[in-house]
Amino acid sequence: MKKPLSTVLKEGTAMNVPIRMLGIATSIFWVLLVVFIALAAYSVKDLSFDFGEPQFTMAPEGELIFSLPLSVDNRGYYSLKEFYLSTMFSDAEGIELSRAETFVPVIPHGESTTIVHNVTLSIDSLIEKGKQYLFNDNNLNVSVTAGLNFAELLPAQISTNFTFPWGAPLYNFALGEPSYGRLNSTHATVAVPMSFENHALFDIAGNIRIELYDSVDSLLGESQTIIYVPQYSAYEGNVEFSVPLNATASSAAQNGHFNVYFDIGLVKYGPLVIPYG
Amino acid sequence: MAEQQEKSKNMVKDVSFRVLKATLKAILVYLLYFLLAPMLAPLFGLIPGFMESIEVFVAVYIVLMILSDLTAKTVFQYFFNTARALFFMAYLLLSMGNGVLSTTYENFSLTVNLTPFYTVAVLLSLLGFARTILQAINFMHEKAEASSNLQP
Repeated sequence: MKKPLSTVLKEGTAMNVPIRMLGIATSIFWVLLVVFIALAAYSVKDLSFDFGEPQFTMAPEGELIFSLPLSVDNRGYYSLKEFYLSTMFSDAEGIELSRAETFVPVIPHGESTTIVHNVTLSIDSLIEKGKQYLFNDNNLNVSVTAGLNFAELLPAQISTNFTFPWGAPLYNFALGEPSYGRLNSTHATVAVPMSFENHALFDIAGNIRIELYDSVDSLLGESQTIIYVPQYSAYEGNVEFSVPLNATASSAAQNGHFNVYFDIGLVKYGPLVIPYG
Repeated sequence: MAEQQEKSKNMVKDVSFRVLKATLKAILVYLLYFLLAPMLAPLFGLIPGFMESIEVFVAVYIVLMILSDLTAKTVFQYFFNTARALFFMAYLLLSMGNGVLSTTYENFSLTVNLTPFYTVAVLLSLLGFARTILQAINFMHEKAEASSNLQP
């Protein structure tokens, strides 16, 4: 016996159940996805990054260590995985000077983690790239990239570029005109004013050795000065030479050049040739 | 005569119910968008043109939903449901591109890889699409079965 139309439509077919189940399953998965996204977005709100005061320290191997403390407070619902902070210093031409990376495998939810990101800048290699870093202020390009795997599923990355002012430790280094004075019957004293400003982030301590040459490249005298110049301060002083007194030497010493050798802890550099007269 | 009157009365009731249902659903969806949009605006604002495209998406989605509700119990309901599922998938594919969201604010560049979320969303839309196709097949099957039952 055949069923009437209304009964058939009301009862439906065997397909109704799977279709309904498919609908329910799809709805449940959509709800789960939306809840996950909502919780992830809510977790971002409860995530805080605090950068501490950057510190500069000098390593004995002629390296400047830039330390940046970073505190990550993860009060969200998800752990942060594969957190990394990468820094690259480059010069104006884009040549890489230094690169550093800090990696934290997991920052569990509800926990606070403090990491210290260290960037090592070799002053020796910096000076090798150009003596302007010793005598002139410059701007270094810094590229910072931070990334993490958010909610254990969504990788995110933020990057920025900025310039880092590089202060020259021997900014405006200058030797003045020599002034002569008589020391005894065989020797005269030559006083040369020396000045510079330490614009660097670190104190400089060491010695500066200067050789005095006459116009025919004969070494007339040599002097060594011990210096200590704190950061952001100027140095002014006199360098004294004892030179032999004879007719040839005094005529030849009217002009010539200085050879300057620097040994200021982080940096050994020389000779810097400065003419006089 | 009385049967005819009863039939037309039922039809008016049915159409009124469909219109009411479609209106309520449209209002609910729009309210949801209206309440959520200001909260998500700062996030969506980072992606140029996303807010405008969301508005177009909501408008088209509501129109297809209304049409589907108005044509309930006919095969056109399934056409509109399928169109809605396809539109949803197309919107996801077009708006998300390769699933990597990149935006720049001042000197900062933010990149978020939404591929896992995007993949799950597309798979769920595919399930929705499959469901509408199955519903259409089921409807046609039921209709054919009913017709064969009516034949002497």
